[in-house]
Amino acid sequence: MMARTPVDLLHGTLDLIVLKSLSWGPMHGFGLARWIQHTTNDVLQVEEGSLYPSLYRMENRGWIKAQWSLTENGRRAKYYKLTAAGKRQLTEESRTWEAVSGAIAKIMAARREPA
Amino acid sequence: MIPRDDDRVPAWRRYLRFSRGDAASDVNDELTFHLQSAIEEFVAAGMSPSEARDAARRKFGDVDEISQTLYSLSEQRERQMERSEWLGALKQDFVFGLRQLRKSPAFAIVAIVTLALGIGANSAIFSVVYSVLLQPLPYAHADRIVTVAQVGAKDTLNFVPHGNYLAWRARSQSDFVDMAATWGTRTFTMLGIGDPTPTSVTIATASYFRTMFIPPVLGRYYSDDEDRDGAAPVAVLSEALWRSRFAGDSSIIGQTINLNSKPTRIIGVASQEYVMSPPAERMWMPLAPPQSRFADFGDHELRVYGLLKPGVSAANAAAHLRAIETPIAQENQHHGYDGGIAVEPYVDRLLGPQKQNLYMLLGAVLLVLLIACANIANLLLARAAVRRGEIAIRGALGASRARIVTQLLVESVILAIAGALVGLVVAYVGMRFLVTSPASIPRLQNTTLNVPVLLFTLALAIGCAVIFGLVPALRAARTDLQQTLRDGGRDSRTAARERMRGALVISELCVAQILLVGAGLLIRSSINIQAVPAGFDTDNLLMVSVGLPTTKYATPDDWQRAFDDMERGIRAIPGVKGVAYAQVAPIYGNGWNWTSFREGSDGHDDGSLTTDMRSVSTDYFSTLGMHLLRGRSFTVADGPDASPVAIISRSVAKKLFGEDDPIGKRISNGSVEKPAWKEIVGVVDDIHGNGLAEDPFPALYMPASAHPNPGMTFMIRGGVAPTTLVPAVRQAVAAVDPQLPLSGVSTMREAIGAQLALPRFNTWLLGLLGGAGLLLAIVGVYGVVGYFVTQRFHEIGVRVALGASSGAVQGLVVRQGLMLAGVGIVAGIPLALIATRLLRSFMFGISAHDPITFAAVSVILGAVTVAASYIPARRATRIDPLEALRS
Repeated sequence: MMARTPVDLLHGTLDLIVLKSLSWGPMHGFGLARWIQHTTNDVLQVEEGSLYPSLYRMENRGWIKAQWSLTENGRRAKYYKLTAAGKRQLTEESRTWEAVSGAIAKIMAARREPA
Repeated sequence: MIPRDDDRVPAWRRYLRFSRGDAASDVNDELTFHLQSAIEEFVAAGMSPSEARDAARRKFGDVDEISQTLYSLSEQRERQMERSEWLGALKQDFVFGLRQLRKSPAFAIVAIVTLALGIGANSAIFSVVYSVLLQPLPYAHADRIVTVAQVGAKDTLNFVPHGNYLAWRARSQSDFVDMAATWGTRTFTMLGIGDPTPTSVTIATASYFRTMFIPPVLGRYYSDDEDRDGAAPVAVLSEALWRSRFAGDSSIIGQTINLNSKPTRIIGVASQEYVMSPPAERMWMPLAPPQSRFADFGDHELRVYGLLKPGVSAANAAAHLRAIETPIAQENQHHGYDGGIAVEPYVDRLLGPQKQNLYMLLGAVLLVLLIACANIANLLLARAAVRRGEIAIRGALGASRARIVTQLLVESVILAIAGALVGLVVAYVGMRFLVTSPASIPRLQNTTLNVPVLLFTLALAIGCAVIFGLVPALRAARTDLQQTLRDGGRDSRTAARERMRGALVISELCVAQILLVGAGLLIRSSINIQAVPAGFDTDNLLMVSVGLPTTKYATPDDWQRAFDDMERGIRAIPGVKGVAYAQVAPIYGNGWNWTSFREGSDGHDDGSLTTDMRSVSTDYFSTLGMHLLRGRSFTVADGPDASPVAIISRSVAKKLFGEDDPIGKRISNGSVEKPAWKEIVGVVDDIHGNGLAEDPFPALYMPASAHPNPGMTFMIRGGVAPTTLVPAVRQAVAAVDPQLPLSGVSTMREAIGAQLALPRFNTWLLGLLGGAGLLLAIVGVYGVVGYFVTQRFHEIGVRVALGASSGAVQGLVVRQGLMLAGVGIVAGIPLALIATRLLRSFMFGISAHDPITFAAVSVILGAVTVAASYIPARRATRIDPLEALRS
């Protein structure tokens, strides 16, 4: 395993990641943290605590909804779920993200030096 | 990790929903779950429990800080939710309320129209109150502007002589930024543009515009240098004059117009806000007092204003001025002032006299609105009776009492807001009407429906909604659910409801009583004033003023000749029965106040008194129809070169000479050192020359020929309607000089009417409000008595079946109305006695507790109550006993 430097997340990017993660279905905070960690092969080491203010803020904005449910192990956990407004937000933010990352990718792939 | 469906919040926690603890424990539970899961994961990966706990915490970050953030975020969410829940409920109530009102359009329309009239009338009067009283004065530092006046023997504030004003101004610079004076408004002739036009000119010092500063609209105000005797004449136009006469042309600045035959340069246009009362079209010209005026301490001519320095109180300024004034007064003792000075905020002096008047009207119109509210409360109570079933069911379905009250109040608010919106139309119409009032109230012309008026209207609407809606809503919400449902929706507490409605109608009658007594007292005062004998014949008397420009008519001889020529020309007009002229016509204006004393008096004892001095032509007394009690009238022989003569009025003769015959005695109106003796040749009766509501003045008449003046007012007695004479009079004056304009053309009746405009306006308005209050109270009585009949349908049917005559049935119903009226009237009398005390200053020749007015109003209220009860009474006699018993 090579050494990895955790990448600082751009402001607002965490929201996009959370929205995207929840688009597969309801998840609790811990599950969300693990999912992000595994999916990115530990590149994005989110400080797990910072996930929660992001979740609460999005709940206040009406993008996600919280619900207490029981886990498979029979423990109570708070599950988050996308709302319709959240889905719209996700579409919008991912479009922006694609535009930005596409633009950055083009720059990185440039073969000519700037004139 | 698929969640099982579960309730969102554990049942026990619902009870904590509104406590702060709930959000905190939610956060704690969530974070505990996270850390616990992380620890378990690390333990499963082979760590010891304590290592796992540390690792989990490290990975998580600062637990305390994050939970603090989460607490505040969830509190924010709670608040958000409460707010939207509340708004949602309100919106629901609104929609439901609208639907309810649409279901009973008759009720809604009656209520909205009643409120529109009531609220609209209030807004109209408030718009005037705001414009006249509440709006700050337009000047810079308005709170430091004061009026300065001398206080005379009778504590009256007087106009100030030039000498005193100049001395004050020169020596009070430590207290005042500046002092200013105005010398009334007179009529000048403007030539050059069309016909000679009379134009109002206010004579003011240059400091006037500095003391009361509003930036000029155009150009500038005049300087002290231009306000000097001998300086080239300049004038400042009012904005209205500039727009109407000069078409708002800015090139007028610097141009010269011909004013009283003098070329006068226009140097500026002043803000219209300088004009507090009509005429809106006027100019200002410098006072420019001649040197001879500087030592004049006797002619009370100027109104004096001052701008206090910051931090100087009016009382301190007055004390300092007194120190300046006292030696002047001592040197000029014969003028009757002892150095008293009054310094008063200008705003009080200007608006103080209007306060009582306008607040009286506002109070009256609020009372009318109260009656209107009581009527609507009554309608709502009746509706509540119908809606008991509905409300009971809503209660059964779990609506809290507060929710039901809110719902019913929202309905009231909808009614009130709708009423206020329609009321704004009423307010606009009413305001237009009030502004055209002939009464001269400062700033009345500037009245508009502005933001403060709209806010007042909104506040009034909400206030009304609470007044008429709260009690019915609370009562309705108290409905006993089980009882109502058991009764099948019928009301089993009729008695309480009827008491409530009765009490409302009684208070309406009380308030109507107050309004009607007030109106009655004003009407009787108005009649009393108009019944005052003026002391001269006021019918068919035309008055016309002519001012001679002194550039063209230089000497008193020129004046005399011109006025005599005009008099001759006017006398020759067919239909003219007599003509005379005087410097000031009665009613038209005040004469000069001078201390006069008889021979042998020292000018201070009871041989002296302040007289109203008037110079009049030879036919003055005969033309006016005044009674000559003794001696003779003036003749052409009493010219400037003849030995001086005077005619005194009866009250002067009585004060100075008692029972003695004053003919041949001498009287002086000069100083004690240099008396100007005049021989008394006649005594005439006193007249109410300063207005019918004023006391007759003690008059000292002198022949106009001996006291010439370039301005005179002709009094023309017509054998025909006097206004038909105006064209011929115009011709007669033009025959003498075509450049002379006529000003102040009016009949004596009109002049008296204009003087009584304010009291008449008050009377009229209060009468209207009293009428409105009475009408609303009648509707209230009718409603309650009608409801009584409906409620007793069955009982009356039984009575009729048992043989009650229709008279007995009618009696039963009318007695209900009379009982209400009786209680209302008896309770209203003491209230009216208190309220009319506030009207005392409006009374003329009548006591504010006048028993005849009180009795008459009580009888009227009783009579209309009987009339209003009679209609439902008739309905009661037609009840078919069979039908009543079956129902």
